[in-house]
Amino acid sequence: MKMRKILHIDLDAFFVSVEQAHNPELRGKPVVVGGEPDSRGVVACASYEARAYGLCAGMPLRRAYRLCPEAIFLKGSLPRYRDASARFIAILADFSPQLEPVGLDEAYLDLTGFEPIYGPTLKTALRIKQRIKNEIGITASVGIATSKLVAKIASELAKPDGLLEVASGEERLFLAPLPIVKLPGVGPKTEQLLEGVTTIGELANLPASFLKHSLGALGEVIHRYAMGIDEREVEPPQAAKSISRETTLIEDTLDRPLLRAVLCYLSERVGAELRQQGRRARCVTLKLRYADFDSITRSRTLREATNADQAIFDAGVELLEGALSQRRQRVRLIGIGVSNLVGGERQLSLLDSSMENWELLDRVIDRIRRRYGFTAVQRGQTLPLKDVSPTENGNYLLATPSLSR
Amino acid sequence: MRLSCLQENLSKGLGIVGRAVATRSTLPITNNVLLATDQGRLKLTATNLEIAISCWLGAKVEEEGAITIPARLLTDFVNSLPNERIDMTLSPRTRTMELKCPRFEGRINGVNADEFPPIPTIGEGVAARIDPEALRLAIAQVVFAAATEETRPVLTGVHSEFDGDRLTLAAADGFRLAVHKAPLAKPVVERVEVIIPARALIELQRLLGDKEEPVELTINPNRSQVLFRLKDAEMVSQLIQGTFPNYTQLIPQSYVTRAVVSLAEFSKATRTAAIFAREGSAIVRLQIMPGGELAPGRIVLSARAEEVGDNVGEVDATVEGEEAKIAFNSKYLADVLGVLHEERVALETTSPSSPGVIRPVGVENYIHVVMPMFVQW
Repeated sequence: MKMRKILHIDLDAFFVSVEQAHNPELRGKPVVVGGEPDSRGVVACASYEARAYGLCAGMPLRRAYRLCPEAIFLKGSLPRYRDASARFIAILADFSPQLEPVGLDEAYLDLTGFEPIYGPTLKTALRIKQRIKNEIGITASVGIATSKLVAKIASELAKPDGLLEVASGEERLFLAPLPIVKLPGVGPKTEQLLEGVTTIGELANLPASFLKHSLGALGEVIHRYAMGIDEREVEPPQAAKSISRETTLIEDTLDRPLLRAVLCYLSERVGAELRQQGRRARCVTLKLRYADFDSITRSRTLREATNADQAIFDAGVELLEGALSQRRQRVRLIGIGVSNLVGGERQLSLLDSSMENWELLDRVIDRIRRRYGFTAVQRGQTLPLKDVSPTENGNYLLATPSLSR
Repeated sequence: MRLSCLQENLSKGLGIVGRAVATRSTLPITNNVLLATDQGRLKLTATNLEIAISCWLGAKVEEEGAITIPARLLTDFVNSLPNERIDMTLSPRTRTMELKCPRFEGRINGVNADEFPPIPTIGEGVAARIDPEALRLAIAQVVFAAATEETRPVLTGVHSEFDGDRLTLAAADGFRLAVHKAPLAKPVVERVEVIIPARALIELQRLLGDKEEPVELTINPNRSQVLFRLKDAEMVSQLIQGTFPNYTQLIPQSYVTRAVVSLAEFSKATRTAAIFAREGSAIVRLQIMPGGELAPGRIVLSARAEEVGDNVGEVDATVEGEEAKIAFNSKYLADVLGVLHEERVALETTSPSSPGVIRPVGVENYIHVVMPMFVQW
């Protein structure tokens, strides 16, 4: 196999950096994006200054506040991050079509074979970093290696605003001293199973058969990773396989009208996205996280693929009622998604034109909302949101619209 | 009860009534077949409470009687016996039926005949007679269009309208509609509309086999049951209660484009397209192109499966009206073409999202309406 040159580019403290670029006064200060310190969300992103206090992404905001009361807490602005992300990806696309964005703030770029044109990959990486800094005003860390795995770990070690190249042949040596949790696929559970093995080097030295025996197929993969072997290609994004929307509730609740209202709102958001993409879905999935952080998902396959808000909501409500009847626990987070996506084709009905009417209605509502916002026209079902959610430009602001979608 | 009959006849009779034996019933006795002597013959009856089938076979009856026997066991046992005379004797006290033929014998425990659900007898009502050939064709051309899901029970039935010397059968599953008009050999005295379960008509079709004697048909006065009487067999079916959609208004009264094609060629092209369509979303796209001065008109059929492949075929057509595009579920198209027998067939369309109509050319007794699929062209 020819020697690959793969870059992993990771924007540093992305949400916070975008906020800092937007408002330079925030630079150099502990900043947290996620919400007000007394609200129920979690930290979506913390500046490096805030991280010094022990804050990290995923931490409940209240705890973050206790650790660092002087931090500046921001709600964040998803449109602003999307915009920055789009510009980030556009810069990378200037260098190679073999581009795989991961979330909003990371991407893999395959520059194999470009050296005769661009010069040494290291220099190209510096140019990429420079363009991101000039054009978006934020810093990026870059890892260069022969595989996605090593490039990613290298960029992580280089943070912030760093650059690290792992030469071909040095992968195993590079990984050896690192703790095993750095490997993708090694989580707390795997770590527990591998008690006594602390570094990737030790892991690589274990017999493959042992790992396969104790961890199954995953064991083989991890073992190969530990030896620095990762043949995954940089894959340009395919059309999404599912669409979902979820939100943490203002407070844990069992209030059915409210849960239905939120579910209806999310269903309409999912439906609008499906219609935007000109697709239909056959499977509807409800996600609930209970007050004790236990999460469940429940799915239903529809008889016919749909993109009608009503059909998505109906399936969601049925799943919700089923889930609530099985377990009387307050709900912390609710989400709905669709999968098993197909094109826009649909069998028209001879006897029942109600689906056609719903779809016509949805299309009209989409057009109104694009111009005047969600609340310009809404169902009675979603009215309870009025009492619990503030609005901005005619759109409801939920406690934590999941920032990474 | 004591009688004897030929294994061949008994086996055939059990095969006929076996279709009505309940399979997943909450009433265990419906898993049994009722055997009864009846005017010098042996009568077999089975029911699943929706339909009941009875048949009569020649037997030498020495002592009258009746009993019910587990159908599956009796059928399997009888089928395994040699084609010889079988002597059957019921010992009333133990309700055990003994079957004997040279070198084989068996004893099967039965259940009292009076525990068997009463089979409705329909004496009076609206009666009609129909030629079996006409009935076979009528059933074949509509029954496949009935719904198989129970979401709207009336659609699992075939709307049957008896009016004068005409029987009109119609079935619709929400996406398509099939209507067939058949002549009655004996007219009805009053007009009557009922909904016969499609499953019952499928069984009737089987029962008709290649019989040539006319079928007598009676609908009971309160329109809840229908009886079909054949030469040596009878079937009673419950009728579906409810209102069938007013289908006449679903049949387009005009068209923008009409294409007449050879049935054989159209069927073949549809089957070819279906090979690709079944890999994807079952869609076959039809482009109807009017002919020019030199070239004939044609229908171009195409199908594609995402990431698999695609195909295009065409058939010559006599096209009247404008160029048209319409997409159908390939199965719906193949289903209707598969039950037609005329040489040529007409496809009439109005728009890509209006129902398409398929009619055999040269006969006026059949019309099929199919809703298209909405696709991006």
